[in-house]
Amino acid sequence: MNAVRSVEGIGVRSLTRDFGALRAVDDVSFDVEPGSVVGLLGPNGSGKSTLLRMLLGLVSPTEGSASIGGRTLAGDGVDVRRRATFMPGEVALYGELTGRVHLAWLVRGRDREARARAVALADEFELPLRRRVRTYSHGMKRQLLFAAALAPDVPVRILDEPTEGLDPTKRAAVLEHVRADAARGRAVLFSSHHLGEVERACDDVLFLRAGRLLSRTEAARITARAKRTARVVWDERPRTLEAALAKARVEEFTFEDGRLHAVLDEADPRASLERLIALLPVPRSLRYGDFSLSELYRAFYGEEGV
Amino acid sequence: MARAWLLLAVYSIGLFLALEVMLVPAVLYWPDFAENVDNLKAVAPLPMLRALIDEMDFGGAYAYLVGQHFFKACNTVGTAAAVLFAAGAIAGEAHRNTLELFLARPFSRTRLLTERFLLGLAALVVPIVLSTLTIVPLADHVGEVLEYEPLLLSAAHQCSLLSAVYALVFFLSTRATNPMPLAVGMIFVTSLMFAIYVVEGVSQYSLYRLTDIHDFMRIDATRSLDWRVVGPLLGVSAAFYLASVQSFRRRLPN
Repeated sequence: MNAVRSVEGIGVRSLTRDFGALRAVDDVSFDVEPGSVVGLLGPNGSGKSTLLRMLLGLVSPTEGSASIGGRTLAGDGVDVRRRATFMPGEVALYGELTGRVHLAWLVRGRDREARARAVALADEFELPLRRRVRTYSHGMKRQLLFAAALAPDVPVRILDEPTEGLDPTKRAAVLEHVRADAARGRAVLFSSHHLGEVERACDDVLFLRAGRLLSRTEAARITARAKRTARVVWDERPRTLEAALAKARVEEFTFEDGRLHAVLDEADPRASLERLIALLPVPRSLRYGDFSLSELYRAFYGEEGV
Repeated sequence: MARAWLLLAVYSIGLFLALEVMLVPAVLYWPDFAENVDNLKAVAPLPMLRALIDEMDFGGAYAYLVGQHFFKACNTVGTAAAVLFAAGAIAGEAHRNTLELFLARPFSRTRLLTERFLLGLAALVVPIVLSTLTIVPLADHVGEVLEYEPLLLSAAHQCSLLSAVYALVFFLSTRATNPMPLAVGMIFVTSLMFAIYVVEGVSQYSLYRLTDIHDFMRIDATRSLDWRVVGPLLGVSAAFYLASVQSFRRRLPN
């Protein structure tokens, strides 16, 4: 077992958790440097929540170690919880409290200004703090949790699906706050099902599958593959398609309902794409080289990302 | 903490009102009881009930009032309150899915648990002490002069039993995920305990033998707590509190 280096951000070494015979998290190691946002992606049951809970000491690891904000995870984790805020994925609040009292409860034990900052954030989200939380919508409850997670002055934030259930405007505002928070030097670990927002908010992405962290090298390889991907649409199937594909250097392709999905076999495949298009009728649309996390997701998991 | 104080206030006021609702009519009934005690003994359906009435008759207003307040009200309503306050302490958080939020704050689990334990215990003890304090002016209203000292010592004695019940249920709450079956089960068990007190032959197996009129009369006579009873009850409370701390350390947040 590798010992974790104590860093101001997040350091994870060989973290493993078993629940009986089930290995929920398996030998996971990574770092999140201060000033960066790292996304954590994985399908349901991939171990994301267990991993985040272990980082806060809510679930004790079977093996491995972690460091949060310069403190090593030990005992019941109170030292790391003092250096990090957490936004749980589960939106369950005390409905009998007003929004203002609930915010105060959530930031209890934090720095003195945390409460004022939390209220300011809640005001920015236009949350009715005088109303009881039981009258809040799902999205409003999530924003209340987000305000409480973002307000304290700590070096690390751990956010479990912070934008789930929010409308696009609020989602954009949350992502903007996350980026701005990282720009102030905080390390942010951010779990999500929304691939587009992870792409937008995160500097780096970790993929978790069946409790195992797929290496960043693999992610980079598949990212490069996505960048070599072309999507071409015709109104009807070109008669010269096979001949054109044979002449252009295409690694693999699928054609269905007038849509060609091709992976071009070159590091810089523009020439290959030009050759391909020159041999075929003018397409209705052509997309090429955009970074698509959903393609990465599909490549890893064999299913479409959300 | 605000939420815990809010609950504490609601629970305390509720328990205090329930105890007063039972106490005030009992005090006002005292002159009629004293006058008709022989008739009451004659219609009492069980020998143990006749013995209880005998003790109240023999001990006068003090015995009657501690019987009504401690033996009847605190042993029933107080026990139910102890069970309800403790059952929801941790299992309630798990049931409403707020346990993760509760645990994720920057406090140690021991501190979170101890705060919750002490607040619930205070919500139980404070109303019992306050309602006990109202006995003296209420008794004065029906022409009886009682002293605070034996009543407050009796309240402490009563609270030692209730704290043991509270601590046991609190421990079970750290291991449960739904407070309702736990509360219903424990209220059934304690009701059974209370019921068997009045059944001759099995009465000695009732938990409430530890807080019956005999005990309160002894306190009045000696003006001191019976540590042979109170000591072990407090020990049981402390043991279940420590067991709760151990259990809570391993508790998963869902």
